[in-house]
Amino acid sequence: MAELVLDINIRGWVFLPIVLITFLVGVIRHYVSLLITSQKKVELTQVQDSQVLIRSRMLRENGRYISKQGFYMRRHYFNNEENGYFKTQKRAAPAQTAMPDPSMMTEMLKGNVTNVLPMVVIGGWINWMFSGFVTTKVPFPLTLRFKPMLQRGIELVSLDAAWVSSASWYFLNVFGLRSIYALVLGENNAADQSRLMQDQMSGAAMSMPMDPKVAFKAEWEALEISSHKWALADLDNEVLNVLLNKSIK
Amino acid sequence: MFNLYRQIFALGILSLLHAAYSAAQHRSYLRITEQEFDGLPLDIFVQGVVSLFLSMYGILYLAGDFKEVRAIEELECKTWETLHNTPAFYIFNHRGKTLFSNKF
Amino acid sequence: MTENKESKETKFKELVSYSEPALRNNSSVVEYCRTSMSALSGCTAGILGLTGLSGFIFYIFSVLALWGLLLFKAGNLWQKYFLNRHSLLTGGFFSGLFTYVLFWTFLYGMVHVY
Repeated sequence: MAELVLDINIRGWVFLPIVLITFLVGVIRHYVSLLITSQKKVELTQVQDSQVLIRSRMLRENGRYISKQGFYMRRHYFNNEENGYFKTQKRAAPAQTAMPDPSMMTEMLKGNVTNVLPMVVIGGWINWMFSGFVTTKVPFPLTLRFKPMLQRGIELVSLDAAWVSSASWYFLNVFGLRSIYALVLGENNAADQSRLMQDQMSGAAMSMPMDPKVAFKAEWEALEISSHKWALADLDNEVLNVLLNKSIK
Repeated sequence: MFNLYRQIFALGILSLLHAAYSAAQHRSYLRITEQEFDGLPLDIFVQGVVSLFLSMYGILYLAGDFKEVRAIEELECKTWETLHNTPAFYIFNHRGKTLFSNKF
Repeated sequence: MTENKESKETKFKELVSYSEPALRNNSSVVEYCRTSMSALSGCTAGILGLTGLSGFIFYIFSVLALWGLLLFKAGNLWQKYFLNRHSLLTGGFFSGLFTYVLFWTFLYGMVHVY
């Protein structure tokens, strides 16, 4: 097959602009989404609930290292019939079954605005502006199956499947530049990650969408059946044994 | 800003761009003289590979340092006070409230 | 004193706990290097005008070279930073391949097609 020679102006005015536009739109989208996403507010009672649950769990798991009196005192604080924490705290069940939170809806809308809208608008614009060019050639042979994928907008039967049309080049860029965004905008991504980590550190307050009432009930039951078994009762003998063994060795 | 690895990286990228430019020139020269293309001249090839490794060497050190994965190495340089600090169990409702208040 | 240290060492072997932030930091550094390596080697392959199979062989060569570079950076104490060497070599092979092919095509088009 004879080699095609493309006009050098296609390189300067179609091929390169598509790459630049795709990349810069991605960058702009990143910053716009940073601008319009609002910080998620954490309810005070939610944080309180999750912290109390964590405290009670730690008491159940590590209660054998504190004295008997200490353990029962703490358990009493949570489980006391008259004024225990799990008994007195009445939390309203979150009313999320009937209708989703309106703030959730705006979040979704914002996500759509930053993700889908530019994709459609820029894609349509590129299709309209740079339609019908053969832009480049992939440097490896492809089967005919790839022709509709790589040659969108050009219906030429005799054209080799390795040639790429402008519209397809745009889509290749959209999907291929993702990892490059992670590279270029890495600092912000890292910030996001650390923010996520902080949320986890601060007691998994975000991961409490469930009903606190149910969680309290379950925790109350679990704490009620746990009894104190002091792990350090025979400590002095154990220490002596360890020391003796060591000195023998 | 102007540390060594950044300069190495910039040098590698510039050299890579120069190799690209010379390759394009070579290609257009071949096209004008109507010769067949069979591989680049050796100097451009070597320049491309060398500049790849140069810039990669720069990237390697720009990317950041590795950290010890064993938790013990990290814990060793922390004091007992840092580890003992458990903010979840702070108690503010103690006698200090009355003792050091400005009521009297 | 030495005996004390020895017992400490054996204790370490029994119970090794890993710090998660450090692991995450290391893997993000490796990921950064891998993405840049696939982009850069894609650029180089495009500039050199590799086509077909030789381009993919060049990718495998670049992955191996990256492995070597990472181990060179970690020095002879790679156990301090990574859990195993194999995942360092094979992880992210295909996502890197996509980036590589994109940059390969891009630079090949810029340099050799026109």
